[in-house]
Amino acid sequence: MKHLAPQRRARARTLLTAGLVTSLALMAGCAKSEDDSGGDKDASRSAESGQVVASPSGGSGPTCGIDAYGGKKLDLKSATVGFSQSEKEANPFRIAETASLKAEAGKRGVKLLTANAQSQFSKQISDVQDLIAKGADLLVIAPLNSDGWEPVLRSAAAKHIPIVTVDRKINATACKDYVSFIGSDFVEQGRRAADRMIEATGGKGEIAILLGAAGNNVTTERTKGFEDRVKEKAPGLKIVFRQTGDFAREKGQSVTENLIQSKPGIKGIYAENDEMGLGAVNALKGAGKKPGDVKIVTIDGTRNAVQGIVDGWIDGVIESNPRFGPLAFQTLNSFTQGQKVAQDIVIQDSAYTKDNAKADLGKAY
Amino acid sequence: MTDLSLTRAGVDRDRVLRLLQEYGVYAGVVVLLLFNFAFTAHFASAENFRTQAVQVAPVLIVALGMALAIGTEGVDLSVGSVMALATSLLSLYLGYGPWLAVVVAVVGGIVVGLANGALVAFVGVQPIVATLALMVGARGLALVLLPQLKDVRDPGLASLGSGDALGIPYLVLIAATLALLVAFVVRRTAFGRQLLAVGDSRPAARLAGLPVRRVLIVVYVCSGALAAIAGVLATARLTASDPTSLGSLMELSAITAVVVGGTPLSGGRVRIGGTVAGAVLIQLLTTTLIKHDLPPSWTQIAQAVVIVGAVYAARERGKR
Repeated sequence: MKHLAPQRRARARTLLTAGLVTSLALMAGCAKSEDDSGGDKDASRSAESGQVVASPSGGSGPTCGIDAYGGKKLDLKSATVGFSQSEKEANPFRIAETASLKAEAGKRGVKLLTANAQSQFSKQISDVQDLIAKGADLLVIAPLNSDGWEPVLRSAAAKHIPIVTVDRKINATACKDYVSFIGSDFVEQGRRAADRMIEATGGKGEIAILLGAAGNNVTTERTKGFEDRVKEKAPGLKIVFRQTGDFAREKGQSVTENLIQSKPGIKGIYAENDEMGLGAVNALKGAGKKPGDVKIVTIDGTRNAVQGIVDGWIDGVIESNPRFGPLAFQTLNSFTQGQKVAQDIVIQDSAYTKDNAKADLGKAY
Repeated sequence: MTDLSLTRAGVDRDRVLRLLQEYGVYAGVVVLLLFNFAFTAHFASAENFRTQAVQVAPVLIVALGMALAIGTEGVDLSVGSVMALATSLLSLYLGYGPWLAVVVAVVGGIVVGLANGALVAFVGVQPIVATLALMVGARGLALVLLPQLKDVRDPGLASLGSGDALGIPYLVLIAATLALLVAFVVRRTAFGRQLLAVGDSRPAARLAGLPVRRVLIVVYVCSGALAAIAGVLATARLTASDPTSLGSLMELSAITAVVVGGTPLSGGRVRIGGTVAGAVLIQLLTTTLIKHDLPPSWTQIAQAVVIVGAVYAARERGKR
């Protein structure tokens, strides 16, 4: 009896472990997901639109040259470039951004080292230090935060490593701590979304804003641009509802469900990213509304949102172009050859409306 | 004379406190409802109650499992990640048809529950640590299986998320059925008694010859399965699988619902009715603040106040 109990326990334990392992193996083994429209997606994806610079390069803005920054000329082809991504490659923007840099590096035959900070700032700092230690001659950084970069900048400056930041800025001195910032103007995106909204609603009525995550510069800037433009151009358009959807579809849906019940007369919804806008579409469908009853304007330009325009649910999508690869490498190339490059390179984002959504669906990411 | 009245006042105070502990959560729900009827436009409509019920359903289902875990003096932090895992599996297996995909998703939840239970019952790891490990692990696995949001186009699942029977949404029917089932199990079955005994005192339960390990494993398996069901329902409602954000912070919402509902963290007692009311209370609170367009940060502060109030009540109960 005494002998048996531990034996039985051991057997139970083995059974459990075996069960766990086999079920895990099964899970991964024979998955079969819904119709994968992958083939056609990849085909059209090759028609990707690179970025176009909006601000006059070289001309009026402050520029940066290799003499001012320190360091020496080198040939990009034989150099190693390190890329530090900020967030998990789980949303279309980050996926497209990393893919674009990898594709451009491959095209130019440059050796690219990549790291992903998984949305943890401390990891991003050590990621960049690792990249430097692994011998990166040039750095492209998609910063998670704007502040807290001193230790990295110091070690990069000691080795005269040129840094280009993409999509978000860091709080440091351009041409001393880093070479250039390449990114979108989020305030301008907000303004353009407001223009779209004014056009769609005729400049009158009550509208709502689905805010992004709190304490994020993207949220504050997209809100500021939108509100300022509405105030200035369409005083008849009243913003009666501002709630956060945390940039997530589910939250956008549940907030919109409450919105359309407490304010049935709402005419438009401005979602600060596509996902929340798609959540709003879900909510409107659930409430029995028809496409076009409530005008929706979103920002980003993901494939699903552009498809939403084609289906008539979404009125306009302001693009935030994630394809930084060509422009980042072009900037690094000119800089390392001794040419002057602009310190702030603001890219030109396009927009999707009813007129071009169908034709440009392939450009969406 | 003065002495007498003093003691009576003391007794009354005790009674009021006890009543507050027992029924405070229901009173809170009633107060919020009355407030909304009076001050919120378009609140008293069938459409609105339908929305609120649909929104609360996934949280409620997760909270039921959480109540069981807390009843054994444990906690299950992995529920949010299990929802994410369920949504990933659902999306991956939808090619075989919705039924099989749902079964696979729930099996995934059960497997995580088994791992939780085994760690707690056999290895003797503290529940908070064991389920923390699975919380990190299951979310990671979910993201490996499905790295980004994927739309769900299956009409069966879509009707599960937005359809209804006799005017009551499927989501609400499922949540209500599960709540009744769990309440029945806790109150009327031998397993329910064993669960409470284990929660009261594990050594005493072992000495009394109860199958402590089996009870613990079954409890975590139930919690995992319920969380997976909630994940499936949330996916059906969203008509998309989003393992990055689905179920994030769900464990906190569920714990809040359970604790606010009057289930003590020290185990040995499970209040299913209170848990349901707790989930409804949090939902109404959030809705009230959203409908009145108060800044989002207020919602968090209001939730904090409710939690502190509930914990205060729990402290008094502990003293008794």
